[in-house]
Amino acid sequence: MPEIFIDGRAVQAEKDQTVLQAALANGIFIPYFCWHPQLSVAGNCRICVVEVEAKGGSWLDISCNMPVSEGMRVRTDSEEVRAQRKAILQFITLNHPVDCGICDKAGECTLQDYHYAYNGAPSISHDPKVRATKFFDLSRRILLDNERCILCSRCVRFTREISKSHALGIEDRGDHSLVRPAEDGCFDDDPYSDNVIDLCPVGALLAKSFLYKARVWYLRPTPSVCPGCERGCAVNLWHRRPEWQLNALDPRQNTAIARVTPRENPAVNGPWICNKGRDLAAIFERARAEQAMLKGAPVGLAEAIAAARRLIEAARHPVALVSNWGSNEELAAFKRSLAGRFSAAFVKIDRQPDPGERLEDDFLIKRDKNPNTAGARALFDDAPAALPAATDLVLVWGEGGDFARLPAGAKTILLGSYLAPENGHADVFIPVSIQTERRGSYTNFAGVVSTFEPCFAKKPAVADAEALFAQLGAEERVPA
Amino acid sequence: MAGTKLLMTFPVTATSHTLADYRARGGYATLARVLREMKPEDVTKEVTASGLQGRGGAAFPVGRKWQVVHLDDGQPHYLCANADEGEPGTFKDRWILENAPHLLLESMLIASYALQVRNAFVYIRGEFDLPYRRLAAAVEEAYGAGYFGERILGSDFSCDVVVYRGAGSYVCGEASALITSIEGKRGYPRNRPPRLTVRGLYQKPTVINNVESLANITGIIANGAEAFRKVGTAKAPGTRLLSVSGHVERPGVYEVESGYPFRDFLREELGGVLGGRALKAVIPGGISAKVLTAAEIEPLALDQSVFEAAGSTLGSGGMIVIAEGTCMVRLLQVMLRFYHHESCGQCTPCREGMGWMHRVIDRIVAGQGRPEDVATLYHVSRWNDGTTICGMGDAAGYATTAILDKFRDEFDYWIANGRSKHRGVLEVGNA
Repeated sequence: MPEIFIDGRAVQAEKDQTVLQAALANGIFIPYFCWHPQLSVAGNCRICVVEVEAKGGSWLDISCNMPVSEGMRVRTDSEEVRAQRKAILQFITLNHPVDCGICDKAGECTLQDYHYAYNGAPSISHDPKVRATKFFDLSRRILLDNERCILCSRCVRFTREISKSHALGIEDRGDHSLVRPAEDGCFDDDPYSDNVIDLCPVGALLAKSFLYKARVWYLRPTPSVCPGCERGCAVNLWHRRPEWQLNALDPRQNTAIARVTPRENPAVNGPWICNKGRDLAAIFERARAEQAMLKGAPVGLAEAIAAARRLIEAARHPVALVSNWGSNEELAAFKRSLAGRFSAAFVKIDRQPDPGERLEDDFLIKRDKNPNTAGARALFDDAPAALPAATDLVLVWGEGGDFARLPAGAKTILLGSYLAPENGHADVFIPVSIQTERRGSYTNFAGVVSTFEPCFAKKPAVADAEALFAQLGAEERVPA
Repeated sequence: MAGTKLLMTFPVTATSHTLADYRARGGYATLARVLREMKPEDVTKEVTASGLQGRGGAAFPVGRKWQVVHLDDGQPHYLCANADEGEPGTFKDRWILENAPHLLLESMLIASYALQVRNAFVYIRGEFDLPYRRLAAAVEEAYGAGYFGERILGSDFSCDVVVYRGAGSYVCGEASALITSIEGKRGYPRNRPPRLTVRGLYQKPTVINNVESLANITGIIANGAEAFRKVGTAKAPGTRLLSVSGHVERPGVYEVESGYPFRDFLREELGGVLGGRALKAVIPGGISAKVLTAAEIEPLALDQSVFEAAGSTLGSGGMIVIAEGTCMVRLLQVMLRFYHHESCGQCTPCREGMGWMHRVIDRIVAGQGRPEDVATLYHVSRWNDGTTICGMGDAAGYATTAILDKFRDEFDYWIANGRSKHRGVLEVGNA
């Protein structure tokens, strides 16, 4: 453990660390653009300069590529360091359009932050800026603004070192260098491509799905878990802050997921997620079922719950199919309140892979496209090929129930969240809340439990599954 | 005659570059003796003792570079001859490649033996046509004669050489960019640490020497370090190949014994300044070397240490002689256009700075200079000093500030009057 001195403060560094890593690990911030903890050292942005003090004098060098050595002394805030940071920011903003006013990255842009923190001065240049491509289609999902690009090469290194698609490179040289795909359209085939949007320290890489949708300071991240597969990546769901609710414009935006970003969790996904995880709105924002029904006839929620209770009490061989999209808490509530009232309860696989979807790889994507199969299996058995013939009531919780194969004559209770034809065919249909409206946890394939928080309020006409199971299972309480 | 010669020791004829002629001059005898009689470490010891300095520009002692490679580290080692001669004004390695390719190859074999290199490379500038053909033919001849391949000349030593042609990038002449290019990647220089002698080509210890540096090895081993040190000066032994261009009567490649007076060299070898004009300035070692005014260079001896003391360098030996009447603003414009064109774009200060300086000088030349422009050129130069991955940003800055320091009046004149003090002349006539 070499001891080094950063700004005069003794710091215990790890043997293989660089000065930048040692400083960050000890709460001393050194600015950086191109360096990233998960990527190789490129050392090209040069903003992480520090001053090394030695007997023979002192000199500036980049800290991201500087191995620590016993007793070394560096300054992160000397006159020279501050001057050089200013110089680097002069260089970086020289040909950068500074179009923050119309840039999606504004508000969470490293260049913006550093400019305010370390430079603050206008450009000393009088010459026209170098023009480059704007709105370049890097892939079907991503736009590239080459004028904003500072050529830190994070995106290029990501495709080489993390996603291994080798889809990106740099063309041409000097101040007309351009990030480009290796071949037209090849970045479309990288299922992790959108991570480069987060990696980009400026607004050069833009998600088409988020383009001009919101200023980031109007949004708030809610910690959540991606339900796209049994990996259960930690994500942030970004949605409008309550204090910035829209009244005049389309109010649906107030309860919409504006974007999804990874939330770092070293035990599950590191700082990455796949593109499917970015598109959770496609899952959660399908048309919602908000009306309880008896054989397709609209009724109040309480009436539907009462009808379901009566069916359960009357049945001789009731069977339940529980959702592997249910949270651990909901599954436990089912087990606690209702399992004793059913002859059997089995785990149902709610969702199958979409056509063309990548099934599995050696990075993040897992074969099972449901978030909580492990949690469900811990409490319930796998479903047999066919339910017992004597079954006279089936409670189907969640999507993916195969109604054609239920025993003939069996009554059905369906708990669903989205509009679907089978809702109207069920004897009792009760709408239930979705992940973005409740708190809970999933257990992923490796047994790691991750929790998610609610983003939006549940509508009154929709039941909360945990409460619903308690109501359905209650012995004495006779509903109105 | 500018003193003793070590490389240009034979008359150039239609066949002087061939194996037969080279053998007739005693070629490959040194290799045979080395393989028979010397241990690898003895070769390195001899080269170290000779005090041979690198001829690519940085004048780093060749022996010290070799000593970093541990022969018993169990790893493959690589040797690359840097024949990517791209520094403007420099064309002296070209002379060796065209006229003495076997001298380079024999030297590379001796160096490979010293460093226990199994695979050696020559990275040759893509624009070099005749030099490439001569070198490729020489490699073929050498393989035919058993100087390369398995168990060379019956010894235990085996070595192969690959000639790799560059694709036209100045930066690929920088050692780390050169090996990155050999690896088939974009020719970006690498950050140090690690040094290339620790982790170079394919992440293995690699020695990269300039063609002229290597060409001296055969002579050093043949005649001994002692004999080599007798030539030239104590601080800079040996000779220098100088490629002289610009306003002189007889431009070309000259071999000059280190320590030979510049004044005599200009008058006797080069035939004086073109058209008998007065000398204005000299860029002594490729455009990245700081310009010296006539008064500064005239008393100097052509010795690396003397030029360093004078604040410049013999660098890569590319000497550009500038006659009185030349416009230094236009000269700097040409230089900055080059640096802008050749900046690889990897690291920020050079990528942005070269274009910036180029645009500023273009604007000055267009008559739209502003009083603060010279200060901007100084700023950009200083901000590139020691802050880039390779030496290119620094070099461009040094070259720029040297011209600004010494010929400031020409810049101020153009900015104030919108025109050149010297009618924008770069080419001076004979008369």
